[in-house]
Amino acid sequence: MRLDPRTKLFMVFVVSAIVMMSATTPLLWAVRIAVTMVPIVLLITEKHYASAFRFLVLYGIALALLFGLLSEGSTGIVAALLLGYCCIIVQFLPAMITAWYVVRTTKIGDFVSAMQRMHVPDGITISLAVVMRFFPTIKEEYASIRDAMKMRGVMLGGGNAAKMIEFRMIPLLFSCVNIGDELSAAAITRGLGGKVKRTSATELHMKAADWLMVVAFIAAAAVFVVFKYVV
Amino acid sequence: MTDQIIKIENVKYRYKGSAEDSLDDVSLTVKAGETLLLCGASGSGKTSVIRLINGLIPHYYNGELAGNVTVAGKNIAETELCDLAGTVGTVFQNPRSQFFSVDTDGEIVFGPENVGLPPSEIRKRKVQVVSEMGIEKLLDRSLFELSGGEKQRIACASVAALLPEIILLDEPSSNLDWAAMENLREIILTWKKQGKTVIVSEHRLWYLSGIIDRAVFMKKGRIAGTWNGEDFAKIPEKELQEMALRPTAADRKYADLFRDDEPEKSETGTEPKDDPAVIAAGRETVSGNDGIILRDFYFSYKKKPYIFRRHKFTKEDGEDLSLCVPELSLPKGKVIAVVGRNGTGKSTFLRCLCGLEKDCTGSLEADGVTYKGRKRIGFSYMVMQDVNHQLFTDSVAAEVLLSMTVKDEKRCLEILRRLGLLGYKDTHPMALSGGQKQRVAIASAIAAGAELLLFDEPTSGLDYAHMVKVGKMLRELADGGSTVLVSTHDPELIRLCCDTELVIRRGRASFREFLQ
Repeated sequence: MRLDPRTKLFMVFVVSAIVMMSATTPLLWAVRIAVTMVPIVLLITEKHYASAFRFLVLYGIALALLFGLLSEGSTGIVAALLLGYCCIIVQFLPAMITAWYVVRTTKIGDFVSAMQRMHVPDGITISLAVVMRFFPTIKEEYASIRDAMKMRGVMLGGGNAAKMIEFRMIPLLFSCVNIGDELSAAAITRGLGGKVKRTSATELHMKAADWLMVVAFIAAAAVFVVFKYVV
Repeated sequence: MTDQIIKIENVKYRYKGSAEDSLDDVSLTVKAGETLLLCGASGSGKTSVIRLINGLIPHYYNGELAGNVTVAGKNIAETELCDLAGTVGTVFQNPRSQFFSVDTDGEIVFGPENVGLPPSEIRKRKVQVVSEMGIEKLLDRSLFELSGGEKQRIACASVAALLPEIILLDEPSSNLDWAAMENLREIILTWKKQGKTVIVSEHRLWYLSGIIDRAVFMKKGRIAGTWNGEDFAKIPEKELQEMALRPTAADRKYADLFRDDEPEKSETGTEPKDDPAVIAAGRETVSGNDGIILRDFYFSYKKKPYIFRRHKFTKEDGEDLSLCVPELSLPKGKVIAVVGRNGTGKSTFLRCLCGLEKDCTGSLEADGVTYKGRKRIGFSYMVMQDVNHQLFTDSVAAEVLLSMTVKDEKRCLEILRRLGLLGYKDTHPMALSGGQKQRVAIASAIAAGAELLLFDEPTSGLDYAHMVKVGKMLRELADGGSTVLVSTHDPELIRLCCDTELVIRRGRASFREFLQ
């Protein structure tokens, strides 16, 4: 099932809001867990089985520990650490899973198209698209710098922490600046930055599944707001 | 008059901050539908001419410009770059920095999206361009997993999607192997047939023979000669060398050598048959005592799942192996060319040899000492294609000292003198030219005591004069006692300096007798 990028962005927005409100009653816990399961299921439908499984296990363990082993009466340093750890995971992992799902399953073309439909200025959209494009580049460059350091035997910077960072960062910055410069020259010759309004090859349509998802997430957010702050 | 699509009149140009003119009184007219070659040494102004036509000069690169440039009836100085997008398309040298997207589909439609075409028209153009170039297989892939040749094809497709009348190619073959260059030739031929005006700036000339209408030779910012295609092909090699140009035709025997290992051919039946000469040459070196002996180099990119212990690759992995070298003897003090198509294991071989792939457990043996595991790193050193990644410090001398376990200033100066870098010992490595950077990397390898020097395509993108320099340097390194392995796609380099050729086919290495 392919969701519209706009739906995905809306999901990120709602989940982030829910994450910031603590669940206190069983009903709120149920809503929170349900909201977390949605992106996991979506990851499975997009064939990202490994990451879905990993998130599910991590979240499951944290929940089980929190409710099964720990209580308000728990004492000791291990229990304190565990409590802190589990609370952070249970609290914030839902947002992380959703963000992961969105980043992994959205093509840049679709994302740009969605931003245009929402009338976001091209300047912002293009910058975000370039950032996404640059991550793999940085990864590649960094890998070859690491190789070079390994061959020279300077992985540890000769025991000097500042050098360790310097040896990595300086070649990396040099090559990224060069790539960035060549990239903008290449993009300009292909018409980027013209006065004409950019179009997009992908035309997006909100489908039934999208609306269903939007309604479900609005409901979840409403439950949280109403039961926490109104009732 | 309308026939002349590009008109450059008395152009003088100087980049901002540069002491010399990059272009000095250049006048050039190009007819519509013409295929033009721009040749000349590095720094002769080829790229500047390309930039004049696509408008990057004066709109992107700052500098002093005098003279007039008219392209398709538009005065470049008064035309905004975005208005040229549908008229002039440019394929750049470096595939990693000309892509705007992460996926191939997005890249092809990027141009048409920029000029605001309606979505249905964009999709129509995409289908058209994809079938013209025959790149159906490359659709819906990540750009970062493509080979150099595939990337260049996508770059060509994404430029063609804007349907420009004029297509410029700036040293497009720099990152390509033999087969990919032939493919590029096909693409240029397609454009030629469509009546497009094509201008290629290039050092490698052989793959363009027979398709160029006119060759323009540039020297120090001036046009120093013009030939029509046929006359250009007839220029004797000696004269070409004096002009610092590479040969216009490739030797038959090298053509066979580089094509030899196309997977389509070797997959037809049994192993590619080795002619007796190859086997004899291999045996001979094995029997010699003074070689560097490689043992048990096995490696595969297909990682087997493991729980506690990582799987070590052995000969039994058979067909899964990307590299399979049970035993091989490299003659010491020789320059050995490593040839083979991209993706057949050349770079894997080099990476394993210098210990960059941890899972490869091979050992090196020289003078009765065996180097295993991490020790291989000190014994062998690779000069990478992008040498910028290998320079870490702020001066050439510091770079060399960094490699020494015992800091010995005197030895450092001696090494720099040997490589002709003494005058630059306090210069920042990033301020040096490409060839000088390469020598700094070599200096640091020698300082680290490396006996086996590996070069990953050191001459792609170099003109003939620079290639001769690299060739001489490799020769001197070998004469000085180092063993040099150089992976290359340049037959000229092999002829210049290599003693023997190591052919890699699907991860299997075999020596080939040098065909003198």
